[in-house]
Amino acid sequence: MSVILKTEDLFKDFSGLEIIRGITMEVYEGERHMIIGPNGAGKSTLFNLITGLYKPSKGRIHFLKRDITRLPLHKIARLGISRSFQIINVFPMMTVFENVRNAVVSKVHRRFNWVSILSKDREIERETRRVLDILSLQDVRDDLASELSYGRQRHLELALTVAQDPVLIMLDEPTAGLNSEESRSAVRLIRQVTEGKTLVMVEHDMDVVFGLADRITVLNDGTVLACGSPEEIRKNEEVRKAYLERRTGAAAGS
Amino acid sequence: MTRKVYWLAWGIVIVLLLSIPYLLPEIWIHLAVEALVFSLFAVSFNLLFGYSGLLPFGHGALFGIGAYVVALIFRNYPDASLLLTFLLAALGGVIAAAVIGVFSVRLKGAYFALITTAFQMFAFAVAEKWRGVTNGDDGVTFSRPDLHLGGLAILSMKSIHHVYYLTLVIVGISILACWLFLKTPLGNSAVAVREKDVRASFLGYNVFLTRYTLFVISGIFAGLAGGLFAFFEEFVAASCLNLDTSMSVVFMTVIGGPANFLGPVLGSVVYIIFQDWISSLTRHWWILMGCFFVIVVLYLQSGLISLIKPEKVRLWLDRRRG
Amino acid sequence: MDWSIYMIQGIHGLVYGMLMFLVASGLTLVLGMMGVLNVTHAAFYMLGAYLAYTLTAYLGSFWLSLLGAPIIVAALAVFIERFLLRKTYRGGHQLQLLLTFGLFFIVGELMRVIWGTAPLTVPVPRLFSGEVSVAGMSYPVYRLFILGFSFLVLIVVALILSRTRIGIIIRAAVGDPDMVDALGTNIPLVFSGVFAGGAVLAALSGVIAAPFLSVYSGMGLDALMDCFVVIVIGGFGSLLGAFIASLMLGQLHSFGVLWIPKLAVVFQFLLMAVVLVVKPTGFFGEKE
Repeated sequence: MSVILKTEDLFKDFSGLEIIRGITMEVYEGERHMIIGPNGAGKSTLFNLITGLYKPSKGRIHFLKRDITRLPLHKIARLGISRSFQIINVFPMMTVFENVRNAVVSKVHRRFNWVSILSKDREIERETRRVLDILSLQDVRDDLASELSYGRQRHLELALTVAQDPVLIMLDEPTAGLNSEESRSAVRLIRQVTEGKTLVMVEHDMDVVFGLADRITVLNDGTVLACGSPEEIRKNEEVRKAYLERRTGAAAGS
Repeated sequence: MTRKVYWLAWGIVIVLLLSIPYLLPEIWIHLAVEALVFSLFAVSFNLLFGYSGLLPFGHGALFGIGAYVVALIFRNYPDASLLLTFLLAALGGVIAAAVIGVFSVRLKGAYFALITTAFQMFAFAVAEKWRGVTNGDDGVTFSRPDLHLGGLAILSMKSIHHVYYLTLVIVGISILACWLFLKTPLGNSAVAVREKDVRASFLGYNVFLTRYTLFVISGIFAGLAGGLFAFFEEFVAASCLNLDTSMSVVFMTVIGGPANFLGPVLGSVVYIIFQDWISSLTRHWWILMGCFFVIVVLYLQSGLISLIKPEKVRLWLDRRRG
Repeated sequence: MDWSIYMIQGIHGLVYGMLMFLVASGLTLVLGMMGVLNVTHAAFYMLGAYLAYTLTAYLGSFWLSLLGAPIIVAALAVFIERFLLRKTYRGGHQLQLLLTFGLFFIVGELMRVIWGTAPLTVPVPRLFSGEVSVAGMSYPVYRLFILGFSFLVLIVVALILSRTRIGIIIRAAVGDPDMVDALGTNIPLVFSGVFAGGAVLAALSGVIAAPFLSVYSGMGLDALMDCFVVIVIGGFGSLLGAFIASLMLGQLHSFGVLWIPKLAVVFQFLLMAVVLVVKPTGFFGEKE
């Protein structure tokens, strides 16, 4: 199994406050890698570091054998890493169709095309419709993103992440705010759209985590507490003390 | 509005525009030319403000440079080709925008606004002091050369009617070009970057480059507008590069309404008419214009066009609050 | 050229720099509070200068205008903040920018209407007229007064901000308005106060600048550009940065005028352009 993403001893501090204190981790091609940990562990910050929104104060990040530590955000995105946001970050004043189309235009590298009319581009139109179909958003394609229900907005958030046809998909708490029915359907969808791709996902819902994961990394206090298969993590004493028992209430494992 | 009604309405507008020299007294034709020129200027400004989310307070620099290009060429080469000279005015605007943009576009908000003003004041200082070339405050005068239509005919530009038609054609084509441009993927990129620049970055959009490109393209039309203005006035002075020019286009666009493509056009027409009417009543019409502007900013953020096309209002207001 | 000329120019640069800092500091404070560059600030400066002319002429005393002008300008500032600016707080930064710029323009035009476009002179107060021997050359006492007065004002402001209860509230409100609001402080009042405070600083600088720079219709715009360059170079929102940048710019202005009088403006321009390329957040600024 080849390693497609690797972080080496990552550090990040904000005006002296250290959030990430030495994270070294690897992500294998094609796996579903869950990241869990208590609030404040640095999960979102780690995401932001990998995707290029923040630059680490120390350490390196490698993607597909390339050092992407100092690359600008948009270049990292074009290399094939895409992410979703914990707080919904779609284009609120554009329709669902236009939202997804923004991603598609970027995927086919036509961002700077000034000689053709966008609405007449059949390839872009087709591709956008395809993504909408996969995410079951065709029926609301002409609705404004801000007018969708929360669950639908989550779908759109996922659609934007997937439309770029990325190599590595990073999802930041994609089930946040969903009820258990919506959550289950979201997980089904995630499983479907990440088929054949590599998934790194931050999640709090342990059922979802253990249901999806090939491997799990546990973060605590800006460092990696443990990393391994779901079984290994479930049995890990430190993890149980720091995190799992708090989450599930009673003693885990049965 | 059905397609037939839409085309009919436009047809009527075009017929009216073509008949203006026969319908209106001469003094109004002068105003019409001014309104056309400033419409183009305001549309170029709105490419940045309405569509890209950039607010430059020094857009007059591009306008003024275009004006000087035309004036200096026609003064020194009285037989120069009209169309080539206008092209050079647009080029002047592009080059100026390319230089100014490198420094400005990386800044946000007020800093962007003011640095463009700084560049404009710099251009103004150069125009004032470089008397050898620009003749400072006294300015450059020239006579409009004739328009040579490819060897077929020669159209004298002494008549304001001919100036009007030439301006109408050039402005009409330019505004149409802007409209089409906004329908291209690049036009869409500008709006996407304006809406959510971080999200757009994560989708692979280069925010700086997108904004910079729009800035440079805006320079084409601002420079051209300036050139047309110089051509109309047969005179350019350093005052063309003063803050007033930049302020006026901000006023026009905001008053007309930045949310709609034609808002700035409406704003320029209202502005020119207002200027003409009020300045005959009082010398201090600028203050009234300023007050009108403040009222629009506070109470009618989507501009006058929202009174005509209300469905755009909500979208724009919601955008502004974001 | 002997060194005493350099020394004089250096002092001149210091005077100009301190004056610039006095103007820019008010702007920086409001910037920290509102998150927007308040363009109207430059109009307050200009109004202070024009009021100095009128009040000195009618009341016969420069000192009374030093007292009166800031009061009048502060009243105007409170009016503007309460009835106009407040409406735009929820509209986003661009709206505030449009409004403050529009107001700058209107106030500037009003001054042109009331006082005309010809430059006006304000006589140097008798107490500080005359010259003093510095480094073997005579130097106007008034300019030294500007230096001293600016320092005094800034020390007073610094003390207020760091020692008094109000100052602490202001600094907290600038840092985190919602939190302070939740603690029960009347935030709108604080905002009005800071805005008016900034206007007072602007007006004071306008008054003391008047005998030095004379009063002309373009002085608002010139001050705006100077402040802007200071903030860009010094770093957005940093008072220390503004201080150092002002002093630098003062020197640049002074020596620039000496060497290339016609295009002295080029230097500060070039410096700003270089800073923008090398360190876009300014020397002391934080990322916006």
